[in-house]
Amino acid sequence: MERYYAGIDIGSTMTKAVIVGESIIASVIGPTGPEHRKLANKVMEKALGEAGLKFEDVTYVVSTGYGRVNVPFADRQITEITCHAKGIHSLLPTVKTIVDIGGQDSKGIKIDSGKVTSFVMNDKCAAGTGRFLEVIADTLGVPLEKLGEISLSAECPAVISNTCTVFAEHEVINKLSTGEKIPNLIAGVHDAVATRVYALVKKLNVEADIAVTGGGAKNVGLIKALEGKFGCPVLVPPEPLITGALGAALVGKERYEHALQSGQTLTRSGQGLQEARLFS
Amino acid sequence: MAEDKKPRSLATQAAAKIAKFVRGNMSATLKAKEEGKKVAYAYINDGQDEIMRAMDIVPAWGESFAGVCAAKRDAEKYLQKAEADNFSRSLCTYATCTIGFDMWREELNGQTPPDAPWGGMARPDMIIGSAQQLCDPRFKWPQATQHYLQDVPVFVGNMYYPPWDPKRDHHEQEAIYVKYAKAELLELVRFCEKHTGKKMDWDRLAGLVDLTEKTWNLFIDTYELRKAIPTPMDTGDAMNTMVPITFNLATQDAYDYYKGLYDELIQKNEKKQGVIENEKYRLLWGAGLPSWFALGDFQYFNDKGAVFPAEVTYRNAEKLERLDLPATNDPLERIAWRWVRFWTHWYDKARKRPGSSPKVERIIEYIEDYKCDGVVFHSAFSCRSWHAGIIHQAEVLRKIYGDIPILIMEGDIVDISSYNEVDTHNRIDAFIETVDAYKAKRS
Repeated sequence: MERYYAGIDIGSTMTKAVIVGESIIASVIGPTGPEHRKLANKVMEKALGEAGLKFEDVTYVVSTGYGRVNVPFADRQITEITCHAKGIHSLLPTVKTIVDIGGQDSKGIKIDSGKVTSFVMNDKCAAGTGRFLEVIADTLGVPLEKLGEISLSAECPAVISNTCTVFAEHEVINKLSTGEKIPNLIAGVHDAVATRVYALVKKLNVEADIAVTGGGAKNVGLIKALEGKFGCPVLVPPEPLITGALGAALVGKERYEHALQSGQTLTRSGQGLQEARLFS
Repeated sequence: MAEDKKPRSLATQAAAKIAKFVRGNMSATLKAKEEGKKVAYAYINDGQDEIMRAMDIVPAWGESFAGVCAAKRDAEKYLQKAEADNFSRSLCTYATCTIGFDMWREELNGQTPPDAPWGGMARPDMIIGSAQQLCDPRFKWPQATQHYLQDVPVFVGNMYYPPWDPKRDHHEQEAIYVKYAKAELLELVRFCEKHTGKKMDWDRLAGLVDLTEKTWNLFIDTYELRKAIPTPMDTGDAMNTMVPITFNLATQDAYDYYKGLYDELIQKNEKKQGVIENEKYRLLWGAGLPSWFALGDFQYFNDKGAVFPAEVTYRNAEKLERLDLPATNDPLERIAWRWVRFWTHWYDKARKRPGSSPKVERIIEYIEDYKCDGVVFHSAFSCRSWHAGIIHQAEVLRKIYGDIPILIMEGDIVDISSYNEVDTHNRIDAFIETVDAYKAKRS
């Protein structure tokens, strides 16, 4: 009988759920709101529906991301650092350095055979995160998902000298008012984000292959800027948002199978999906 | 699902006594003023303790006061005061906190600002600084303070030690540095004599040097008891128990304190009584001052099964026999040799390991002696002396010693705006998972 394992990653802006058996059988991405538990419930329900499973069919559930402690039906909480490493290793086994650009933070992770050897996370500043790009997209009146594509037509990227998101927004407005073209501005913004991320990640003694995950990985302009900073091509998984949730499911699978082999019993949360409660 | 918040607890009774100790040091400065004794602003690890104590000068420690303000999360008003006079937030926040306090007190014509933590410090009669033994901001901090306390005389001495150079034998240079340090200490004696109106009692000074040396030996003997598995005391406590060796050196109180701690740790080891019940991970606090407003993070590590049996920070003493000091009866020369050798005695060992440095060699020794599974650094942004070198130390450690989990935490010593508890705990969680994976791989 095939066993199924679920991973749920509650990030600052998106919630992701993945169900694995022998391979990925379902993955769902939904927005994160202040009511993490409720959304976790809904996203997991959707993933189960996609897989044609009931919650009872799932052997073990691991939650990750900033909201990991708010998932009542998770059997275990593991940080996104460990889960990203596990997830990326399963998808791109040659990767030694992960750059994750999320909604509110960015991080660098060094891995060896899927295990974390060191990591860095950004400070409390929004520069170098998806939030920075959201603010600029809003300022320019450009859909977030179009930023990358538009930036590729830049003739000469503008120089955005401020790393502070608020001041950078002012700088973009000022340059816009002096006639700077939008593609040049967006390319300049990508360069500013890439510079910030590179400064963070290079503390890790970066080794290729490098993979980029998180929402930032969906932006081709940012990927191009990062490749310029690292001086080599970077790898992007087919769906860069789900690597944390995938890793969570795989960590759960590994732990369960290890426990099974060694005759141990893993404690489960004992709470079904329907028992999710808000802030209880 | 969220973990319960637990109050911070201390493993040893000795550590629990420290608040009274610190408060006593601060109130001693206020009492000294009432009794007509001289009070000096003083700075830790300057080699000046015995001289001040021999001259009956009561030290007022800015670093201690700022730490108390931070621990009580009440430093912001002083930081803002200093910032309003254009002191950057990136300057040492020990300095800016106390300068803000000094500014406020001067505005009140010498009265202690209202609600000063634990009554504040007395206005000093003199400022006795020394730079380079520990950190360079202390060249300018006393001078900046004098900008507001213009009638207060300032002495800033220097006690250098030979810089690390793997290609150069420092032994040839040590005597020159000691000669210079001794001259600086003698200059300090003259300064103290001038401003106290008393002559130095050289026999008393020699007795206090004896007492300091005894205290250094006892301190190390005591801390080495933490090698036991489970460890009876970790860094969470050591950030308290460092007070006597740091702020009360050359006093009988300091010696007696460590005798009490020594006895307590012996008893704990006999009963195999560890800091936590199930010690799973042993970590080294590799460098950096802690965030005094977030000492509860040590508890967070403990809750994850991690303990710190050793730390570089505030282990500012060494066994005298290890320093192999030249024989001399001159108390100033003894002080000078002890401090110069405190820093240089790692050099020979570091030279034997290509690519190493004294600071990294010290970390390696503690990793091995205390059987540590990982290293945690704390990069306090305003503490330039340590902040700037931490990444380099971590890189060198990995390169020459091998793969060991390292966590670099970020924050500050005093400025709470640098701190995010959720982020910090998230990093600790991830680090513990990493240490666990390393241990599993090794086993």
